[in-house]
Amino acid sequence: MKKKILIISLLAITIIAYFGYNYIYQDHRNISKEDADYTINASEFITEFVSDSEIAQTKYLNKTIVINGNITAQTNKSITLNNIIFCSLLEINKISKDSVVTMKGRFIGYDDLLEEIKLDQCSLTKTNQ
Amino acid sequence: MKHLFSALCLLLMISVTAQEKFLTKTGTVIFEASMPSFEEVKATNKNTTAIINTKNGEFAALVLVKGFRFKNALMEEHFNENYAESDDYPKATFKGKISDFSIDDLNGTSQEKRYNGSLTFHGKTKSLNNKTLSITKSTDGSLKITGSLKVNVADYDIEIPKIVSNKLSREVDVIFEFILNKK
Repeated sequence: MKKKILIISLLAITIIAYFGYNYIYQDHRNISKEDADYTINASEFITEFVSDSEIAQTKYLNKTIVINGNITAQTNKSITLNNIIFCSLLEINKISKDSVVTMKGRFIGYDDLLEEIKLDQCSLTKTNQ
Repeated sequence: MKHLFSALCLLLMISVTAQEKFLTKTGTVIFEASMPSFEEVKATNKNTTAIINTKNGEFAALVLVKGFRFKNALMEEHFNENYAESDDYPKATFKGKISDFSIDDLNGTSQEKRYNGSLTFHGKTKSLNNKTLSITKSTDGSLKITGSLKVNVADYDIEIPKIVSNKLSREVDVIFEFILNKK
């Protein structure tokens, strides 16, 4: 009987430790694999920020967004869509030759110094010629 | 004729202002609130915007708080939800001025400069007086600005619960590095 209690309590401790460890050391969000909260055209996305940046910021903050737009600038770690949407990339940019692309990333806020919309952990999901 | 003149003036103004600004969209800001022998409490933001007006030394930086990345995902979540409350306060900003700034005096060796300004975080603004930073002008024409400062969390209305009080420093080290290019 005593042995049984010992085994059960050991088992319980192991399970608690396992879930406890997984909770404390849980993985980061994987934006590129997450389902998008919003799928939107770059121009429509910008229009929402132009009309009221506060409301748009609250709506999209920390959300995974898929955006269709034109590449207007790029560096080895970022792609800018439609002049205003700045996407910081997860991986080194292979300098896309396409002009119209679909990006997926997490919206982190509206930069009112440069009047830009900023996303991080971005990845190219589709290129359309 | 009048229109042509004002158009010319406008053009001139645009070209003059364009030459005076250096900026980055991918500056680095790191903060660390670790305590010895406890788990590291450190986060890095690599998407900081910083602008300097090289004519008068006016300087501004904007950090989007959600962009701070921790090694530990749970720590990142707690930082955003309980401490920085980034849903309500998504931005941290600095506005200030570097004293005795002159772009012509800068060169490849780093120079120490003093600056004054105000730092806004978590909805609270505090002034920073007589802090130092270093500026270097690289051969490619970019400006590198680096520095660090200590920030008291109580100044920004951030409460540290008793249960974690020995694991978190009340004085946070903030380190910044911006490589600014001519706009």
